[in-house]
Amino acid sequence: MADSAMQGLFWATLIGALLRASTPILLAANGGLVTEACGATNVALEGLLLISAFFGVIGSAYAAIWMPGMGAGFYACLGLCCGLAAALIFSLVLAFLHLELGADLVIAGIGINMLAAGLTIYLMSVLTGDKGSTASLASYALPVLHIPGFATWPIVDVLLNSESRQGHHVLVYAALISCLGVHGLLARTSLGLRLRAIGESREAAIAAGIDVKKSQYLAFAISGLCAGLGGLHLSMGYLAVFQADMSAGRGFLALAAVFLGTRRPLGTVAASFLFGASTVLAAQLGLLAIPSQLVYMIPPFATLAAMAAAGAWRRARSRRTQAIGA
Amino acid sequence: MSEISRVGRDRLSERGNLALVIAIALACGFVLTLLTSAQPLRAFHVLLTGAMPEIRWSAQGIEFSRVGRLATVVEETITLSLLGLAILIGFRARQFSLGADGQFFLAALAATFVSVKLGGIPWLGFPAAMLAALLVGLVFGAIPGVLKAYLSCNEIVTTLMLNVVAVQLYRYVITTGFNEAGAGFLVTPRIPAALLFAPLISGTAITAFLFVVPLAVCVCWFLINRTVIGYEMRVVADNPWFARQAGIPLVRPVILSMALGGAFAGLAGLHVSNALLKQLPVDMSPGIGLEGLVVALLARNDPKIVPIAAFLYAYLKTGAQVMERTTDVPKEMVLVIQACIVLCFAASTLVEFQAGTRLRDLMRRGRRKAASKAGGEHG
Amino acid sequence: MSRAALGPALAQAPDTRVESPGYALQLERVSKRYPNGILANAEVSLGIVAGEIHAIVGENGAGKSTALKLMYGLERPDSGSIVIDGTPAVLRSPRDAMRLGIGLVPQHLKLVQSFTVAENITLGNEPCHWGFIRSKADALESVEALCARYGLPVDASRVVGQLAIGVQQRVEILKALRGKPRVLLLDEPTSLLSPQEAEALFESLEALASQGMAIVMVSHKVPEIRQVAKRFTVMRGGRVVAGGIPGDFSDEQLSELIVGQQLPRFDAARKKAERAPLLQVRNLSVRTGAAKPRLADVDLDIAAGEILGIAGVEGSGQSALFEVLCGLRAPTTGLAALDGKAISGAGVRHARESGVAYVPEDRMRVGFAPGLSLAENLFSGDYFKRPQSRRGVIDPQAMALRARRLIARFGIRPADENVSAGMLSGGNIQKAIVAREIDARPGLLLAAQPTRGVDIAAAQELHAAIVALRDSGAAILLSSTDLGELFTLADRIIVLFEGRIVAHFSAERFSQLDIGLAMTGMAIDPRANGLLPALGANRALHGTRAP
Repeated sequence: MADSAMQGLFWATLIGALLRASTPILLAANGGLVTEACGATNVALEGLLLISAFFGVIGSAYAAIWMPGMGAGFYACLGLCCGLAAALIFSLVLAFLHLELGADLVIAGIGINMLAAGLTIYLMSVLTGDKGSTASLASYALPVLHIPGFATWPIVDVLLNSESRQGHHVLVYAALISCLGVHGLLARTSLGLRLRAIGESREAAIAAGIDVKKSQYLAFAISGLCAGLGGLHLSMGYLAVFQADMSAGRGFLALAAVFLGTRRPLGTVAASFLFGASTVLAAQLGLLAIPSQLVYMIPPFATLAAMAAAGAWRRARSRRTQAIGA
Repeated sequence: MSEISRVGRDRLSERGNLALVIAIALACGFVLTLLTSAQPLRAFHVLLTGAMPEIRWSAQGIEFSRVGRLATVVEETITLSLLGLAILIGFRARQFSLGADGQFFLAALAATFVSVKLGGIPWLGFPAAMLAALLVGLVFGAIPGVLKAYLSCNEIVTTLMLNVVAVQLYRYVITTGFNEAGAGFLVTPRIPAALLFAPLISGTAITAFLFVVPLAVCVCWFLINRTVIGYEMRVVADNPWFARQAGIPLVRPVILSMALGGAFAGLAGLHVSNALLKQLPVDMSPGIGLEGLVVALLARNDPKIVPIAAFLYAYLKTGAQVMERTTDVPKEMVLVIQACIVLCFAASTLVEFQAGTRLRDLMRRGRRKAASKAGGEHG
Repeated sequence: MSRAALGPALAQAPDTRVESPGYALQLERVSKRYPNGILANAEVSLGIVAGEIHAIVGENGAGKSTALKLMYGLERPDSGSIVIDGTPAVLRSPRDAMRLGIGLVPQHLKLVQSFTVAENITLGNEPCHWGFIRSKADALESVEALCARYGLPVDASRVVGQLAIGVQQRVEILKALRGKPRVLLLDEPTSLLSPQEAEALFESLEALASQGMAIVMVSHKVPEIRQVAKRFTVMRGGRVVAGGIPGDFSDEQLSELIVGQQLPRFDAARKKAERAPLLQVRNLSVRTGAAKPRLADVDLDIAAGEILGIAGVEGSGQSALFEVLCGLRAPTTGLAALDGKAISGAGVRHARESGVAYVPEDRMRVGFAPGLSLAENLFSGDYFKRPQSRRGVIDPQAMALRARRLIARFGIRPADENVSAGMLSGGNIQKAIVAREIDARPGLLLAAQPTRGVDIAAAQELHAAIVALRDSGAAILLSSTDLGELFTLADRIIVLFEGRIVAHFSAERFSQLDIGLAMTGMAIDPRANGLLPALGANRALHGTRAP
């Protein structure tokens, strides 16, 4: 009896870790899905994660410095707004470059990533004198959400409130909601229909009188907000600090998730959890005295393996129509 | 990756545009510096002149000092030129391969490894090291090519993932045995002097590799424009449906372009290991691949301009290091400028006049809106 | 389809033709020059009366499409004005046009194939709860109401991609009608339709006109115009050259107005002789797992020095046949052999090496590489062989020499082999593609719509080149929706319908009526095939050598 309870606790804890690890990837991937639906690949997810993580911290820290005595929740909220605003602005700059100036979306996306990386370290150095992290600044974290009443059922309590029994982070819930939200947006709303039309047949969308540019701007804005939430989870989740290169490739994992999930909500969510799992696995293995370098190789390997498998499966499927390649 | 190139887009070789893009990027950087530094003007002055040697007139004539900085610029130029060419080859085949970092790291490690192990037989070790660097770059570059060609895996994601794998592998090898006992920090053993490139100018690391650059440019240009492989790459890049219908192989050019790019990156790795650093630290920072990307973009995909773009970039980078030492502006300012260059380039990927037309259209629309608000004019 | 069958509402509608002195839509001295320098419309003036079908007639490149685009806001005029119901209007985009009561049914369908009919029709104007959540029920309802109102029934919940082209066009029409337009524009509406579907369309249009709608139809088919249009405007070279009532003009007058000059009638100088087949196709099928096969049990021969024409509504199997013959696709069953050597199922390179050349239908998308130079485009067939390249290195002199030779022989403009191919006009690109393929001295030339969108003079040159190739002993398979072109060039014509050969005519028995019936499945000969009649429809393969 105790054994199965231990097992149950173990799995519940693991699920909690999985949710934590997958949250930023999920949010960024859902953001990527929205632009992907209208035919635009948002390569800048990595930069958006980074920039919102940074400005979240800066926003909450400086709010505390400039407006003392208002309470941690207020500062955290202001940090949230700053982070989201930064991600929104960067996303709209990307959209502007592409839609108004005709920039190649991939190159512009890479540029935004580089800008985010350089700007965050630069500003961090200027504001705190430290190029590694903002530890010298007192910033705030966003709250956790506690679901009461399950204290007597430990397994369920851990499942619903994470192993600390304090509750999952509010952004974890945001990530789960974003999955439904993005799916609902694309399948059920008029904006979603228009985005899908633009993505599948731009001519049809124009002929239907849709303002293609406006819709795409909206898509990029939503994408920026989603990725922004993901970034906030990094720096205002459990740790209230920004570290250099904090996103560590999660934005690209999110992009890979969108491709792996064949640009559909269900597949993308599954792929995001897959990549989150690989991160958790890496952490678990790290505890077992396996060299850290090999451990860090696990998420990218998992990504490569998953992409290769998906590609092979797709190829086998299309082979049945007997097309001849070169 | 992208759609068929727009009808009428000429080959991009606007030299004037290069200067404009750099100017805009510098201006953006300057604005940022203005907002965050107490000495913006001085900082930018140092940025732009820090890499230059000091020239003084004295009784003996002209004296140069602080030449070491210029030497650093030249050394960086060599590395960046090769990396720029590596990425450029991929670009001409429409592959956004960002894998230069990983190829570079592993090739440098391979060159060092072979040099150290075969250090006693220079006539064998030297070419073996070169071969090792080229092969490792070639093979590691071919991997994302194969994944793209046979399994349609997006090359941006695969190359970035492979970069992580490569860097971790590099660190793993050095940490677990291939290191110099007794050194204060984790670093590979020193390459024996016989296998090093000899410096052309004493006191610097400028070696015969300097002459490899124009050679590499010629090879790259020839490859792209005068070979069957280059033709196939360009056709597949320009219109893959036409290539398919014309019987031009779709798989071979993709893999070859990425593999050949890897070879050039391998050459850059050889330069760093056997000419510049002579032993590789475990914490060599990744990111030079992205700098190669900036150089390739600055050079507008024209191999002949790559060394010039590389020089400009290396110049700024060295200036930034001086700037960080002597002012309150961190050298990451150059990362911001680098990003602005990429964004400016992205914004002007059309032929220059077309970009100008768009800007003019934007302004015209703005004026019209203002006019129509003012007085019901139709237009 | 009779008027009564169109729906009860329509059958009872009184004839409400309005005798209005004013025009519903007018172009007044409108000019438009495109950025590449072409003056598409020069001082064009025309007026459309409500309740009438007005046709704009002209050849390809006459400016009809541009005039239509200007009327719909897809382009802005450089000078002149567009007048709607007596008021000048500025159309910045199709949305303005729709707002002012103008609807367009485009020539190439602009529907989202994976959406349902209802989603396509309500796109841009979706009925929603709370302003953003779509109501599928409301959408279905509004589409059904639309169908009833105008008598154009469709199943609103079906996915568009699964519908026949004629039905898809009806969806397009309904889309245009949703905005309750007073003017309906149709661009070459019968280009994708069989003769019978076209009849049904004309009936619908007449019914709409009788409700007071002004209908503008762009076409280059004179018989259609005579049948359905009350008034017409003839355009040539970007200008209006005539207008009025079609009945007032004879065929010769119309032909002269449209074409402008009397071009000598092209004489294909057919030779009749008994010949052994050069291309042999037996039992060819392409099945993709969909309900209907793309190609089924096709047998055909083409002799050396013979042109076999293929007639058929788009999507009847022509592209599948061409894809198999040029090596892009392997057949599910059957094979094709050229001069005894198998060419099917082994890839494009093998087919080309065996002597197959292909002029694709979608030339802009798959026919050339716009970013490369003209010379580089012209040697895409043999760049890897001597003398164009040696041991992997290209010889630029050889490449330039061949290019100059082809430019001179085929009259390609501009006559510069280094110019970027994307800068050439459509007609010159087609000339370059045909030049490239013919110069390869193929045993079999596959030509799909070779003169579509090409001006008359260039078309004649292309026809001459094709005939010259025929005379040199090649076999030519020519697919075209222009029956006139087929009648002029082909020695025999086969008709494809739903992937099968359903009729086979020799030159003496060409008849537009018979071919039209076969194209729509109304006169199917189950034993029809494309084998050489002189050989008594012998299905055995002649002189086949192992590949």
